[in-house]
Amino acid sequence: GEHAVMCKVPVLISVSPPKVAKLCVCDLLVAQCDVNCCCDPDCSAADFSLFTTCSVPVVTGDSHLCSQKAAIYSLDVEANPPERVFKLIDQVNPSIFCIHATNYEQALTFSSPEIPTSENFDQLLKQFGSATFSAEPESWDLNTDDQSLSDANETYRYQYGVPIQTVDAFLRLPSPVVSSWCSDENPAGFLVNQATKCIRSVSVEKCDDIQAVSMLFYTNSSILAKLYEFVFQVNISVQSIVVQSLNGMRTLLNDRDVLRLPMILDELCINIVLGVSYHITYTDAGEIIEAAAAFVLGAISKEALSIEQSFEISFTQVNTTPVPLSGNPGYVVGLPVRAGFRPQGYPFPVEMIQLTILQSTSNQDCLAAQGARAPVLFGYNMISGCKLRITAAMKCQPLTQALLDLLKGQSFPEYVASFGNSQAQDVLDWVPITHLRISEQRIYNTFQSSCQIPVSLEIEVKWTKYGSLVNPQARIVNVTATITTTTLKELPSGTERTIPITSSVVFTDVSSPAEPGYKAWPTINAKLPFDFFFPFV
Amino acid sequence: NSSSQMSSVPLQLLFYVNGIYLIFYFLATLAMVLYKRQAFSYPEDFLSVDLTLLVITAIAEVLRLYLGIRGNLTEEEGLLGLSLVMTVGSVFLAVYFLVWQTYVLKIDVILNTILLLFYGMESILKISAIAAFIR
Repeated sequence: GEHAVMCKVPVLISVSPPKVAKLCVCDLLVAQCDVNCCCDPDCSAADFSLFTTCSVPVVTGDSHLCSQKAAIYSLDVEANPPERVFKLIDQVNPSIFCIHATNYEQALTFSSPEIPTSENFDQLLKQFGSATFSAEPESWDLNTDDQSLSDANETYRYQYGVPIQTVDAFLRLPSPVVSSWCSDENPAGFLVNQATKCIRSVSVEKCDDIQAVSMLFYTNSSILAKLYEFVFQVNISVQSIVVQSLNGMRTLLNDRDVLRLPMILDELCINIVLGVSYHITYTDAGEIIEAAAAFVLGAISKEALSIEQSFEISFTQVNTTPVPLSGNPGYVVGLPVRAGFRPQGYPFPVEMIQLTILQSTSNQDCLAAQGARAPVLFGYNMISGCKLRITAAMKCQPLTQALLDLLKGQSFPEYVASFGNSQAQDVLDWVPITHLRISEQRIYNTFQSSCQIPVSLEIEVKWTKYGSLVNPQARIVNVTATITTTTLKELPSGTERTIPITSSVVFTDVSSPAEPGYKAWPTINAKLPFDFFFPFV
Repeated sequence: NSSSQMSSVPLQLLFYVNGIYLIFYFLATLAMVLYKRQAFSYPEDFLSVDLTLLVITAIAEVLRLYLGIRGNLTEEEGLLGLSLVMTVGSVFLAVYFLVWQTYVLKIDVILNTILLLFYGMESILKISAIAAFIR
């Protein structure tokens, strides 16, 4: 409005020509000659003689100008060798609408946008903040009709790999980037199960200064339930806190509501976060409804300069229980064999447990074993055992029972899954375990009243290859558990005997080998046509 | 001597042609401003300045021509003198459109040069007419 007339200083700017002689759009390689680029200053006369045509024949300024300089490049093929011809001419625009002069210095150039500052922000927002300048396809208006609402639902749900958003930024899963040092900028992706370990530098003096070793850092920002929507937020709850002492022993704390922040105690810095394990629950609509974090807190001493932190995130769909599969469909070598037992009254196996065998401990005494068991991994033959010290005072029946419990474990399954992904309700996919009992002695004593104690359990798993020849799947067809018993002889009192107890798992491949098949020999199929003997037949 | 006519006929002719030319000039310049607005980057404040000056030019021209015609026909040197003074302002405006406009197209140069020629010739004839009237 009224400011312009007096403030404007009329200055006639004869349009300064861009240096057309120096402008070359086909000069892409630095210090190297571009092929067929006649304006390239890096090309020598020898290079020009090899060109076939000029990719850029004319370089001019703005064509609206009445008079402008133009650089014309052409190849003179008549000469031997061909040479480049460069002419700088004045190009005249014959139209009467050509620009003779301008007084507006930004007339013929692209304008660089204003940098927003606190002074001009409001004006810029008014100018560029309207819908026509909006780059985002979704609108922020909440009261829209159903069509756009369902579109909004479509775009606002989390999809695989999308970083999980929190109120201020992203859910962070610190991970090593280039070196082993923790970088806090790694976002957790939706449905991407990750486990990372990284090293962070700490010191006892800066105990409460470093944010990333405090529980608050990992629980303070809320996760957005849907993408870009700040209305629904999910707070990160503390699922459990395990405290690890300096010698590595871990104890689960009962009270998990108190936020434990790092503090200095007796020259140690305690409540340092050593590990966080996030568990996110989501719905099938792509919304996050729950988030829990399990912490491992530790302590560092004065000498410690760095700690290793481990982070993990896992996703569970709501109303489902995650059942880890051991293969899909065939068993994968190294994954646990799935087993189950059938409670009374149900027609199909419901309870799923793992097939386990006795695990050897450093203390080889069977009766002192704490009941440590190892899961049976498909394809891995295992053998374990312990030594049993029998004294005269031991009674047969309790000893037999104790050894059976030791060998078989607390709950020995009745069925084993045939495939790695067998579901509980598919009856035919479960193989019953056959139990055999053999006695070591070949010759039976006349008096069977002597005690038979089990000394070994051998599980033989027979599996076959199932499916196509190029991608065979492992399938368990038979599981046999054989208990071998031996006679416990009466011991004179005061003496003791040591017998070894073993348990083993053996996997046997019973798949039938592929039989070679040959194509049938070609035969000559010579037959006379049907109506060869036409008039007669 | 009362029968000798002192009004300048060439001046009257010039006024007449100038009047017709003014209409053409106004419409053409307005059309050019609209064309420039559409074809080039023409910020609103520059545009408003140019349009305002164009309207002022039109009004000033009408007034100037009226004063000149009346002064010439009634042989009054006062009105003719006033018209001459207004010509100075009109020259300034024509120079603005010739040189200081936001975008000066070739057609603008042509139009304004012709206008300046008119002003020049009219000024000479006005001076001689005033001299004749005073005598």
